[in-house]
Amino acid sequence: MGGFDFSNHNRNVALHAKGMPLPKATSTGTTIVGCLFDGGVVIAADTRATSGPIVADKNCEKLHYIAPNIWCAGAGTAADTEFTTALMASNLELHSLSTGRKPRVVTCMTMLKQHLFRYQGHIGAYLVVAGCDPTGSHLFTVHAHGSTDKLPYVTMGSGSLAAMSVFETSWQGNMTRDEAVKLCSEAIMAGIFNDLGSGSNVDVCVITPEKATLLRNYITPNVREKKLRNYKFPKGTTAVLNEKVITKEDISKYVTVHELQDDEAMDVDS
Amino acid sequence: MGSPFSMNGGACVAMVGKDCVGIACDLRLGMQALTVSNNFPKIFGINDSVYLGLTGLATDVATVSDLFRFKVNMYRLREERNISPDTFANLVSTSLYERRFGPYFVSPVVAGINQTSGKPFICGFDSIGCIDFAKDFIVSGTASDQLFGMCEGLYEPDLGPDELFETLSQALLSAVDRDALSGWGAHVYIIEKDKVTKRLLKGRQD
Amino acid sequence: MEVLLGITGKDYVIIASSKAAMRGPTVLKATDNKTRNLNKNSVMAYSGESGDTVQFAELIQANVQLYSMRNGVALSPPAVSSFVRSELAKSIRSKRPYNVNLLLGGVDPKTGEPSLHWLDYLGTEAKIPYAAHGYAQYYCLSLLDKHHHPDIDLARGLTILRMCSDELKRRLPIDSKGLYVKIVSKEGIKEHVFEDEGQVLPA
Repeated sequence: MGGFDFSNHNRNVALHAKGMPLPKATSTGTTIVGCLFDGGVVIAADTRATSGPIVADKNCEKLHYIAPNIWCAGAGTAADTEFTTALMASNLELHSLSTGRKPRVVTCMTMLKQHLFRYQGHIGAYLVVAGCDPTGSHLFTVHAHGSTDKLPYVTMGSGSLAAMSVFETSWQGNMTRDEAVKLCSEAIMAGIFNDLGSGSNVDVCVITPEKATLLRNYITPNVREKKLRNYKFPKGTTAVLNEKVITKEDISKYVTVHELQDDEAMDVDS
Repeated sequence: MGSPFSMNGGACVAMVGKDCVGIACDLRLGMQALTVSNNFPKIFGINDSVYLGLTGLATDVATVSDLFRFKVNMYRLREERNISPDTFANLVSTSLYERRFGPYFVSPVVAGINQTSGKPFICGFDSIGCIDFAKDFIVSGTASDQLFGMCEGLYEPDLGPDELFETLSQALLSAVDRDALSGWGAHVYIIEKDKVTKRLLKGRQD
Repeated sequence: MEVLLGITGKDYVIIASSKAAMRGPTVLKATDNKTRNLNKNSVMAYSGESGDTVQFAELIQANVQLYSMRNGVALSPPAVSSFVRSELAKSIRSKRPYNVNLLLGGVDPKTGEPSLHWLDYLGTEAKIPYAAHGYAQYYCLSLLDKHHHPDIDLARGLTILRMCSDELKRRLPIDSKGLYVKIVSKEGIKEHVFEDEGQVLPA
């Protein structure tokens, strides 16, 4: 592991001591859920990313790939969920290459909790880990401080209360795949409409022992109405003081760039 | 002292058009309310078809732009080719996340055209490297709230290079006129497959 | 309440610094020189925490001269500025940063182009036509905005400097004991005797 670089830390502590607030990171003020069903597991998420009260991204991806049979939904600090899951993905890939076995969900969950516990909650990743492996279908939640839960249905993020209310009223044992997908989407929709930190669309991922299917934008209940007229400005609206055009011909005076054709592509094997 | 992000002021915005992208920034450098320079560009050329916009703490804008100049030069020497915008975006992301617990106080914006596929590319980042892939526009800086509003209203897909220039420029000019810490002129880059047009805009000087 | 001023003209740069060395409200010295010549064609003026200022200025001075000895060429003013900025940017990330603000004026010995760089302790750098540090910024930048042109001759430059000096005398509650003035041109660095023309009172 490359590890973190703390060389700005002293400066920032000094700046903070002089009264500067800490930077606003993009956070996934989020609704994420997961639910086991007969023969697999479903996870789902909304697609809103926020920075304070501002919607930073209206259609971001909170469902992260970890291994072909393990996916993860992330809430909390967006950069942390992104990079911790990417780290787990690469470590598990190496692990399964060296053991010659498919990665297991418990392995992933254990690696995550050990990594997060080491950083004492400073890595703000709140995750729902789900997957199928030779020991069955599994669903876990992992908190930033390193605690984990194993439950048949889970919710996390700022919309977790709204989502859980859906699970608590409609969940039943031994559901089918379609029932589980429907239940998870409804739980996310509860988050989208009742929690300000969540919004836009529903992403779903269905994992069975055979394969994982990502249903990106499975439901899009918040499509922006097409603008009926436009605000195009006629050419010359903006006052320009100076204009400089750089063309590729200008550039090629100084350097030559040759794009390789397909048939003369670099052949590594020969 | 306020937030490090708003000590020096500044704004940056990028937009996608039809087979082109645009990126623009204001030119102010200040210390709180005092303007120190009205010629402090925040857009840096990475190569012929990739541009990096940096807003935030001015010392970090300079340090981070130097850092990426170094990293991209090393990439070009190793690989004997230019870095593509999507690869560069990942370089920015990992470089910022490396400093997760001691970040640079910058909000970068990347805009460019992928020379292999010809596809336009834009994205934005928070200060710790979370990428915001957007299909339409990216904003950053002390006028970001105003820019969000302007872009949400003015933007439409598939604008040509000239139309994109007008929309992008008007969005930026209107936004910075409502931000005391940004403005004092602007630079606008319109990037096409084999041509880049850089324009200096006449903006308010107050 | 230390004053640093910089004005570029057609083929020269004026760097001025206040003569008063202060500690709190007390004036300890009235002949303090807050400038260092880095090489034949660049001058640095500094203000900030006493101790840090001279220590940092001399560190830079020594390193700029070392570079010339090793490579047999003098660094151009923008190159010096870039080096100083990187040192300040490194320093601000250290346990105890240098608390130094700088103006760096020089004339490129080959092209004859004057340049003036404004730097603060954070490592912020800007190349500008006229500059000030400290409270002088609030009083002088507006004057310079009005009267400065890129092609002014030396006499005009010194007239504008006098206007700045008068305004500072008029407005600052503590007398800065006059200004040390250095003029950089293609020929090198010249000290300029800036006569104190007595009291200036506000209306």
